[in-house]
Amino acid sequence: MDALVESRPLRIALVGVPNCGKTALFNRLTGGRQKVANYPGVTVERREGERATADGRGLRVLDLPGTYSLNPTTLDEAITRDVLLGRLAGSAAPDLVVCVVDAVHLPIGLRLALEVKRLGLPMVLALNRMDVAKRRGVGIDIARLSTELGVAVVPTVAVRRGGADALIELLEPARWSNTRSAPPVWRQTTAEDAEQMQGDLRGLLAVTGFSAPRISPWIARIDALLLNPFAGLAILLAVLFVMFQAVFSWAAAPMDWIKNGMAALGAYTTAHLPHGPVASLLSEGVIAGAGTVLVFLPQIVILFFFILALEDSGYLPRAAYLLDRFMGSVGLSGRAFIPLLSSHACAIPGIMATRTIPNWRDRLTTIMIAPLMTCSARLPVYGLLIAALIPARHIGPFNLQGLVIFGLYAAGILSGLLVALFLKQFGGKRQYSPLMLELPDFQWPHAGNLLLGLWERVKIFVSRVGGIILALMIVLWFLSTYPMPPPGATGPAIQYSFAGKLGALLQHVFAPIGFNWQISIALVPGLAAREVAVGALGTVYAMSASGNDVSTQLEPVIAGSWSLATGCSLLAWYVFAPQCLSTLAVVKRETNSWRYPLIMATYLFALAYIAAFVTFRVMS
Amino acid sequence: MNPPLSTSDSVTNGSLALAELRRGQSAVVTGLIDTAAIDTGRGSGDSLIARLRDIGFVPGARCEVVARMWLGGDPIAVRIGGSTFALRRAEAAAVRVQLAREPAIATEALTPRASVAAA
Repeated sequence: MDALVESRPLRIALVGVPNCGKTALFNRLTGGRQKVANYPGVTVERREGERATADGRGLRVLDLPGTYSLNPTTLDEAITRDVLLGRLAGSAAPDLVVCVVDAVHLPIGLRLALEVKRLGLPMVLALNRMDVAKRRGVGIDIARLSTELGVAVVPTVAVRRGGADALIELLEPARWSNTRSAPPVWRQTTAEDAEQMQGDLRGLLAVTGFSAPRISPWIARIDALLLNPFAGLAILLAVLFVMFQAVFSWAAAPMDWIKNGMAALGAYTTAHLPHGPVASLLSEGVIAGAGTVLVFLPQIVILFFFILALEDSGYLPRAAYLLDRFMGSVGLSGRAFIPLLSSHACAIPGIMATRTIPNWRDRLTTIMIAPLMTCSARLPVYGLLIAALIPARHIGPFNLQGLVIFGLYAAGILSGLLVALFLKQFGGKRQYSPLMLELPDFQWPHAGNLLLGLWERVKIFVSRVGGIILALMIVLWFLSTYPMPPPGATGPAIQYSFAGKLGALLQHVFAPIGFNWQISIALVPGLAAREVAVGALGTVYAMSASGNDVSTQLEPVIAGSWSLATGCSLLAWYVFAPQCLSTLAVVKRETNSWRYPLIMATYLFALAYIAAFVTFRVMS
Repeated sequence: MNPPLSTSDSVTNGSLALAELRRGQSAVVTGLIDTAAIDTGRGSGDSLIARLRDIGFVPGARCEVVARMWLGGDPIAVRIGGSTFALRRAEAAAVRVQLAREPAIATEALTPRASVAAA
């Protein structure tokens, strides 16, 4: 029995307050070899990695969500506590807890360590960022701390290669095999407990010689500027502007490569496979479908690069601080800023990012308005319609077409804020949810963590979204191809298919808002993803080219046959309409119910219809 | 069950709410009180107080207001125990403080080690 127990890997859990460098340490320990899933039944990420050890047993390292206390205020924190107590289904309490404490912010981390120590699990303290601490004049007597606390304490510099060696040495499985005495005990901290821990903490801090870190006067000045109500907001707007410009200009070339690559692949497939449904499915269903997803990858990568860099540097919470009051006036939390920002690339990672919003109602509101942010998938549609119907004139120094695009972006944000305000009115009496957001010290973003984080986002996007979109594209390809047109039929083939028949029915619904039958049909496959509408219109107008060519061929056709009113009506439709089943699928996942995606689809389609109706009537 | 939160004179007498401090002012925390703004009668006030305590707002701790937003400081940025937190006005109203004379932050060398060990 003992031999069996001895041979399994040592299970370690990393615990610490947010921003202590725990994730960097985790990456250092596991070398980026990690598995990200969800804890059973909840949308909290479970991050586990492995490390080989000399004796062959190996380590299994679990990176627990950061928390300030074992008395949880959010779902994340409750998970951390439950994992430590072994309460979660399918996992016993860890064999060893590594409490990661930022040496620069010793008091807040040490307080948590005292709480964790009370659980009675074997524990080790990793004193991280010792290099920064030294630079800022913080001296800590590590030996003394270890003696007084009663656990092993090792210094680490998680961002430096070799910086975790002392810790790794300590993590030899053989040392910890027989140390578990009793299962972990925990009870809600009372005021007396809190006072006692505060007393212990003060004693520890005094004994180890901790003194508050020096602040560079430059950093203090920059921070004062960034947090200044006027300068700070101006700087935030400038940062956002630069970010969006970069996203569009840097992504243009890679997007073209991918488009051309996909087109070439499609052409190759058509050329080398016998003409028929298989070739069509592969080139128009699968490749065009995958291409649709992949084309947006450069924009998403660039946007997330900026977001992760800003996050790592410590700037994003400051943006949330600046916007909190404003967002609060429409019933959102300042923390909603990042998800809504991400939604401008794609609502799907934006909606997943709402997990950081602790209050359920805030989170739900943010999820509900995320699709209103102008995501990159709308751009091909906007681009086509604007090029075809809006003259390339100048109004003063501004390009009219550019103004229209800007107006559409603004319409998205404004409508999102109005919907949030509406939801606030009907929310009933709200329980107060605190902000209490830490503004971490500034630091230069760490390239390794950045790349790892980026890679993760890319994987999530491509695998989850690509899976759904691909599946939907195949289904819609089927619906758009069968039944095949009878021999001797004129007109585009799609008119005879299921999608075509559906479009013909929809035409009755869409006539009042100015959509012709071609648009009505194109909206059916256009449900898979917004950008699909361009290709679908091409199919409907019997264009045989692909990608950019479709657009350029469509432009004159649209310019010649659509009224300005119809075009603007379609633009207004696209500001609101949830022509993206993947978004609805993700909402279902994140809210664990069908109710919310249904509500979302209903209200968005309703708004789209009303907006298109008003636009069409006003303009014709 | 937690004992009732203190609103006794020893805490509120002669003290300000953190929310009232101006930018650049430093103070020493004297206690935490439940306020009407955050108490919804469902005990959320308790957890808010506990969390304020967890992040370092305990009697004797020194803090400094680093920034205040428009409209009466909602939110404010406060430095405590070496970390900086953004607190809404309602949260900062729960922290009672007494103005301190020297700055809490060491921009040069000296540090309030004594005040951490005292109290």
